[in-house]
Amino acid sequence: MKRIFLIFLLVMSLSSAAQAGFSGLHGFIENDVGIKLSDDTTKRDNYNMFEQRLQLKSNYYAQGESYWARKGMVVNFRGDFTVDEYYSGKTDFDLREFNTSLSPFRSMDLKVGRQVLTWGTGDYLFINDMFPKDYESFFIGRDDEYLKKPSDAVKASFYPKFANIDLIAIPSFTPNTIATGDRLSFFDSFQGGIAGTNSDRHIIEPPFQMSNNEYALRAYRNFGSNEAAFYYFHGFDKNPRSYKNEAERQLYYQPLDVYGASLQGPFAKGIGNLELGYGRSRDDANGTNRMVENSWLKMMGGYSKDLGNDLRVGFQYLVEERLNQGAYEDHLLPNDYRWDEFRHVLTNRLTKLFKNQTVNVTLFTFYSPSDKDGYVRPSVSYDMTDQWKVTLGASLPWGEDDHTEFGQMKRNKNVYLRVRYSF
Amino acid sequence: MKRLGVAVFLFLMLVSPVSAQTVDEIINKANLAAYYAGQSGQSDVVMTITDAQGRQRTREFRILRLNVKEGAEQKFYVYFKRPTDVERMVYMVWKNIGKDDDRWLYLPALDLVKRIAASDKRSSFAGSHFVYEDVSGRGVTADTHELLGEEGNLYKIKNMPKDTKGVDFAYYLVWIDKNNFLPMKAEYYNTGGKLVRTVEALEIKDIQGYPTAIKSKAVDLERKGETVIDFTNVVYDAGLEDSIFTERYLRQPPTQWIK
Repeated sequence: MKRIFLIFLLVMSLSSAAQAGFSGLHGFIENDVGIKLSDDTTKRDNYNMFEQRLQLKSNYYAQGESYWARKGMVVNFRGDFTVDEYYSGKTDFDLREFNTSLSPFRSMDLKVGRQVLTWGTGDYLFINDMFPKDYESFFIGRDDEYLKKPSDAVKASFYPKFANIDLIAIPSFTPNTIATGDRLSFFDSFQGGIAGTNSDRHIIEPPFQMSNNEYALRAYRNFGSNEAAFYYFHGFDKNPRSYKNEAERQLYYQPLDVYGASLQGPFAKGIGNLELGYGRSRDDANGTNRMVENSWLKMMGGYSKDLGNDLRVGFQYLVEERLNQGAYEDHLLPNDYRWDEFRHVLTNRLTKLFKNQTVNVTLFTFYSPSDKDGYVRPSVSYDMTDQWKVTLGASLPWGEDDHTEFGQMKRNKNVYLRVRYSF
Repeated sequence: MKRLGVAVFLFLMLVSPVSAQTVDEIINKANLAAYYAGQSGQSDVVMTITDAQGRQRTREFRILRLNVKEGAEQKFYVYFKRPTDVERMVYMVWKNIGKDDDRWLYLPALDLVKRIAASDKRSSFAGSHFVYEDVSGRGVTADTHELLGEEGNLYKIKNMPKDTKGVDFAYYLVWIDKNNFLPMKAEYYNTGGKLVRTVEALEIKDIQGYPTAIKSKAVDLERKGETVIDFTNVVYDAGLEDSIFTERYLRQPPTQWIK
């Protein structure tokens, strides 16, 4: 805490000398504590989050009559200094955003550098958003902001008359952050069950080379109040779901292409959305390789409605299908885990605001009837002033089995408290 | 007697449509004066929200507005500057007539463009004591209007909602300036006839020939608390284009319009 505070003082004294074009230095300082409600074999028994965080953000707008100013150039910066008591006070710096954006032509935008990328229509459910996510943050209860991880990317957006087009190139692969056993326990097939620090699997990342560049494309347009979009992604699965070498306990991020579409617009006095995607597993296109994830099909529909008096409700239904299930099952070995062909997930979001919208009560629930598991995320936050905000929440995954998506997380239940001071 | 009846009938024929038209005309002119000045407009806005315990919060944002059709459809772009936890957040509305408005929210930390379901126009705008309809206007055909009389330089008009569902008042009174047709004050009454909320223009300034309320106040008399809203750097017809009000500029704010 002391270290963070010193950085904070230093930065504040520097920022008083703000220059023309700079938006000034802002951000927050916060304390997060997550008390564990269930036992597992991770590094610590009592808590799975205990950290201080200082976020700084600033923007620079190109000034005057220069070329850059005329093209609307902005430099965006956002970074977090952290002191993580979970790892005995380990300090770290997490560069969340450092990029330049500008409009070189009237109907073209460019954003180059580290940036957070998001698209698609789901709420905590992603089909065509293949950008990296931090599920460790999600399951320990960090702010929603940390569910998305930044990518080092070039994003070019074009706006011809007939549609809007985003083209993204990502030269360096960023995987999802998932449970590894240190902080969060999870199902490790090599250990034959839920594992903590005993997990010793190795995850192989795609090497940094031209042929491993990832590309993502979205073309979208409005039809009145409705928006239709098409998506394409060429890259890798962001979770290490496939085996490289079983004897060496090696997993890897298998090559993946995703083709998809979505539709969103007013529907029955609320907002409706539909999204589907087809994922083609390039290393196992016919599904016969038991080591590599098969191709898949995912579909979801959602509906959200404003019930008045600051009460909102949302529902989603997602179905995932493993393609070539027959070929997959035919090639399994006797001791292999057999995964189902279909997975169904229902979600519900309830949000109610009180006291001039300073108190936010939210309940988000995942439930999978096919996996017989689920995940409940209640939270209450209170904006005491424009500076101070307190959030109390819980992260409650459960499941009948140990190997399902949420079931494997069931020993990570926590209650967390966050106190944030914004400046 | 019969002749008198005919005379009364003729009188009503002549008079009532005229007076009805007059009050509707006043309301129409007030709607245009308050919400449609110029083809487009922009302003810096500071909202000071004071709760029942006297604690103050502020919201600072830049608002851009474009009239798609005078007296009807409009587009709004609201770029938040303060407090810092909502900095760079953008709220966009396409105000529709005859169907729900289209609303979007852009959350910069997640780079997330969110469609918001928005049927409730009587909910608080950004946590203030102003409701959405105070900011973007209440449809002129949503109420029946009755001219109660004149008070000095003001028309006094009573407005009864045609549909009482989803409305937080039984009726409201509005005082409209006879010269510039700006609504100067509104009083909202509940079903018991008790005054529950007031909205008042505190300062009017002539900007490019448009009389403009540059300071207003909304007071919640039931739960207590009030919000004062200040408009500065108001400019009309600076050449805002329709393309600003799209997802492109949610993700990449138009620097020349928000500085």
